[in-house]
Amino acid sequence: MAERVLPKLGRRNFLRTVAVGAGALAIGGSAKTAAAASPAFVAQEFADAAGRSKRPWWVKTVDKPTMEIDWKVMERYSEGSSTRGSMPKYVGQAEVDRYTAAGAKLIKERILGNVDGYQLRDFAMSSAHVGVGKKFLGPQTAPTPESRGVPKWTGTPEEASKMLRAAMRHFGAANCGFTVLDENTSKLIYSKDPDGKELIFTDEVKASETDKQRFIPKSCKYVMAYTVQMSPETMRRSPTMTGGQTTTLAYKRAENIQASVQEFLRGLGYQGLGESSTNALGIAPAFGVLTGLGEMSRLNRMISPEFGPMVRVFKLLMDLPVAVDKPIDAGIMAFCKACKKCAEACPSQSLSFDTEPTWKVRGPWNNPGHKAYFEDSVSCMTYWREKATTNCGICFGVCPFAKKDKAWIHEMVKVGMSVAPFADSFFRSMDDAFGYGAQASGESWWNLDLPEYGIDSSQPVGAV
Amino acid sequence: MAQQVVSKKDYIEIRKRPWYVYVIGLLWIGLIGFLAQNAAASAQELEPRAAMVFWVSAAVVLLAGVVIAFLRSRK
Repeated sequence: MAERVLPKLGRRNFLRTVAVGAGALAIGGSAKTAAAASPAFVAQEFADAAGRSKRPWWVKTVDKPTMEIDWKVMERYSEGSSTRGSMPKYVGQAEVDRYTAAGAKLIKERILGNVDGYQLRDFAMSSAHVGVGKKFLGPQTAPTPESRGVPKWTGTPEEASKMLRAAMRHFGAANCGFTVLDENTSKLIYSKDPDGKELIFTDEVKASETDKQRFIPKSCKYVMAYTVQMSPETMRRSPTMTGGQTTTLAYKRAENIQASVQEFLRGLGYQGLGESSTNALGIAPAFGVLTGLGEMSRLNRMISPEFGPMVRVFKLLMDLPVAVDKPIDAGIMAFCKACKKCAEACPSQSLSFDTEPTWKVRGPWNNPGHKAYFEDSVSCMTYWREKATTNCGICFGVCPFAKKDKAWIHEMVKVGMSVAPFADSFFRSMDDAFGYGAQASGESWWNLDLPEYGIDSSQPVGAV
Repeated sequence: MAQQVVSKKDYIEIRKRPWYVYVIGLLWIGLIGFLAQNAAASAQELEPRAAMVFWVSAAVVLLAGVVIAFLRSRK
């Protein structure tokens, strides 16, 4: 009987296996290097005639937004009904005075006590951001084609969209989309601006404003919604001054962007009607949804597939005809049904715990006519003023979509959210298990060597 | 007296590994690479817990593969 002779397997095969394992690690290491070091700067031409970026396949364009809208019920909203400026109306002036005094006392105590995220340098940075200010009609200083003695710019709607997209990125916007005002979507333009001025649609050709009114020509029916990135690293330090200034910085950057695009349009021979102050003109998240920049969420704010909630949304009206965009479905609204992480993290319990969105508003600060996760803005604002002593943002920081795009797993999870909503609870559990959304200390932020504005501007839509 | 020659023969059996062993090997390498990428990238994202979970997972998968390969080779 033949005797089986075993080869000297142990040492050789063992070494071979170890070598293969080392190779795998090397692949992993080089992949990491590739992910980190590559596209620090990416430049390529727009593939789409209208300049639309190529989005991942799991971001689907749809005819109707994932948030239901009843246009018959919806009416134009007065910004004065929001809690930003109307808290005395909802809780009384005495309560406003009480929490304002409590907040002021707390601020001083925190500075003197060197409380993490509330040190003098945090307050100094928070009040350091300045912008050029916002004007409905814009700065109106750029030379017009008329003043140059040349005809105004003309092109197809697609060419106009592409041109604006290129310009907006250059001005500092993360991405932008377009829609057109019709009988329904006109209701998303405020009836009154935050300063109380009425917004009136007019047959006049030129926009104008008086002490009490702002006139929007019906020809200015094209809406551009655009986003400005916020720093995830400061936002995850909410609710501190370090976290709170995240939005302030984005708003100030948006002031410059708005002024720039208004002047750009003026230079082309067109009008750009902007926000006269923060959050003016119209309902930003709604326009963000209609232009396909993102979906509504449990935050009752827009979440973008690319940047999550780490963006502020802005809008501008113009009379330059553009190619319009469609809403999207990336599984975001569906994921919010199962997640509820933001609601659990909200210290004032202001966010909805309902599984399904509802038509029923929580108070007059909400605008009826859409099926949403309405928030209790009064308790939210009271927490801001009394306890946080700044704007909060915990809900933004803990959101599972608030990820940077370095690790490959994030893209896979987003695909899973889009195509396998039955696994959303699992994804939420894993998000917790991996420690995502954990708050960081304000103190540690000062040791971070971050890119400009604390954002990754090499993460544009579809550029890689 | 005739001398009886006793010949001793040694047999070396060379067995070709089935195709699926190579596929599993590639999957194993790919999984380790994927976990290592996520671990390193999570560290860059300043997500220490995620980085640790991914590094530990990568180490476990690597070790498991090495042990399985070693045990199979001993058969």
